[in-house]
Amino acid sequence: MESPAYLDEPYPLIRSTNLAIHLDGVTKRYRTGRSRTLVDLIASGVDGLRGRTTEVHSTSRGKMDGTILALRDVSFEVPKGAGLGVIGRNGAGKTTLLKLISRVTWPTSGRVRVAGHAVSLIELGAGFHPELTGRENVYLGGGLFGLTKREIDTHFDAIVHFADVERLIDTPMKRYSSGLYARLGFAVAIHSRPDIVLVDEVLSVGDAAFRRRALEALRQLITDGKTVLFISHDMWNVRRLCSDILWMENGGVRAYGPASEIAEKYMNEVNVEALANQATALQSHRSGTGEVRYLAVDLHTDSGAQTGLLSAGETLIVRATYRAHQRVAAPVFQVAIVDVDSGLVITTATSKAGDVPAMVEGDGQIRCRFEHLPLRPRQYVLRLSITDQHQLGSYDVVTAGPRFAVTGSGGGVDNLADEEDGLVSLPFAFTHAEAPKA
Amino acid sequence: MNLTRREVMGRYTQSIFGIGWAIAQPLATMAVFTLVFSRLAAIPSGGAPYPLFAYAALVPWFFFSTSVNSGTLSLITYRNIVTKTYFPREIVPLAQVGSRLVDLAASAGLYALLMIYYGIGLGPWALLLPLFIVMLVAFAVGVTMVTSAVNVFYRDVNPVVQIGLQLWLYLTPVAYPLSVVDERYHPFFMLNPLTAIVEGLRSILVFGRAPDWTLVAVSGAIIVVLLAASLVMFKRMDKYFADVI
Repeated sequence: MESPAYLDEPYPLIRSTNLAIHLDGVTKRYRTGRSRTLVDLIASGVDGLRGRTTEVHSTSRGKMDGTILALRDVSFEVPKGAGLGVIGRNGAGKTTLLKLISRVTWPTSGRVRVAGHAVSLIELGAGFHPELTGRENVYLGGGLFGLTKREIDTHFDAIVHFADVERLIDTPMKRYSSGLYARLGFAVAIHSRPDIVLVDEVLSVGDAAFRRRALEALRQLITDGKTVLFISHDMWNVRRLCSDILWMENGGVRAYGPASEIAEKYMNEVNVEALANQATALQSHRSGTGEVRYLAVDLHTDSGAQTGLLSAGETLIVRATYRAHQRVAAPVFQVAIVDVDSGLVITTATSKAGDVPAMVEGDGQIRCRFEHLPLRPRQYVLRLSITDQHQLGSYDVVTAGPRFAVTGSGGGVDNLADEEDGLVSLPFAFTHAEAPKA
Repeated sequence: MNLTRREVMGRYTQSIFGIGWAIAQPLATMAVFTLVFSRLAAIPSGGAPYPLFAYAALVPWFFFSTSVNSGTLSLITYRNIVTKTYFPREIVPLAQVGSRLVDLAASAGLYALLMIYYGIGLGPWALLLPLFIVMLVAFAVGVTMVTSAVNVFYRDVNPVVQIGLQLWLYLTPVAYPLSVVDERYHPFFMLNPLTAIVEGLRSILVFGRAPDWTLVAVSGAIIVVLLAASLVMFKRMDKYFADVI
């Protein structure tokens, strides 16, 4: 084993009273490739005796081909009582960060300082034994989180109630569903009175009711002055729970700041990337009889720029080219906007507004113009079809056409609007008058 | 403590005989040894009934070998916990050894019954029993700490341990008394703390006489050094566990 540049004590106590977590120039390097066996070790020992030197990181031996940097020179502070969202793409170093803070693994260099007892919810119920009952596992798991038997006695009913497993508490846990398993794990962890809770994408288990309860419990911890680090790809939950966001990218800190600001930047970038990378070709498996088919669809703004990204209130132009393989009388072209999460927003058709060609043959193009798109900042997908003039049979149906996203705060719309805000933004104003007193 | 309970409870739930299996292994080996070594090879047992003679040594031997066996693999078995939560890692192999103490107690209970059956009483020297139990546990802990930690990095350790334990059984005076071993080899046997433990337990329990103090002193020293060294080594290695496991 090489001796890395560890400091004598990479986890010194935090002296400051208002900081919960402090990372100072933390780098974490993992060895990649196969772990070495004794045979390798002996081989390198023999090489050493012969006067040949074997570099640990040399690629010539193949089996020990270097390392990867999971985190590089990461520094940040988290005050006590904060809810910090940790976001970033897969492999950005989010989980490594949590492992370092929970002391599961040690930094290669730099210092991690943590005030108090950190509990990691990286995998819920990891300490449970499937052969034992829920009751026995509550005591077992509580013990792993550092609770005494008496403390667990006190919280037992609350734990079981929180996980909602009263009926199954004396059943071996191998009979539990994975959701139940995780629920009991979460319940035990949350009742171990931690100072710092590290949550890694675990709320995806369990039903909606439990998720809400779990989120509520985390929020209560923050209210009680505990610190919560919350890894999630769900910006909606991150923003509900966290006041600040740490954005990780390629093992470094990309941004750290107020949740709404960072979430908006992140979502914009993710959208841009997703929309820039989307294939221009239309899906190949389509229903319809095929006399007329769409060839390509692209999206433009009013200025003519091709884009998949619009600010609220901008004008969207959908341009679709088609090819008719035979004479088709009075086809109807339809363009629908579908909210990726919530469903259909609007269906338009040439029969409702615009020129309905009496007859098509060969190639052609239609344009559909949405004036000052009053949509909420979300992701949308276009659905296109061509039907006969009575809209009874379909020549072509594109269920998943090009995507676009509405982003802008330019239109004065709050980005990442709450679901409760609805699908469209309409100008509105209230007036108020008191009833005349009798 | 919790992990020990988990181990013991997990091991014996959904099994009809439960803790009975802890007794079965030394008992079965005793039967084989009695047949092979006493009846066929006519190994002397110093005047005591051979089954008792063998069983008194097999109980500590199986405590040691099962502890080391499952202890070596324990950090890998508990990978889930080791890579996901923080706690002092030495708990994992310690819990393995601890859980085998339950088995030890159960098979010791059967030993008491055998004593009654053969009508052998305990002498005053039996009061030394705790000393030998402490030596036995300390030695098992020391060996397990080393093998479990190294096994995280090099999985070769486990097969080596498996083979080693098989040979070790026959290099320890379990099936035969130390007195039948040629004097020339005694220094070699002295380096094996299990010799002192097994012979000592037999002296105080079966024959009701004093143990060989030289043997006990040498082994005691070896065990203390091993235990200290293994703990230091374990603590130096444990920060890398989660990365390589």
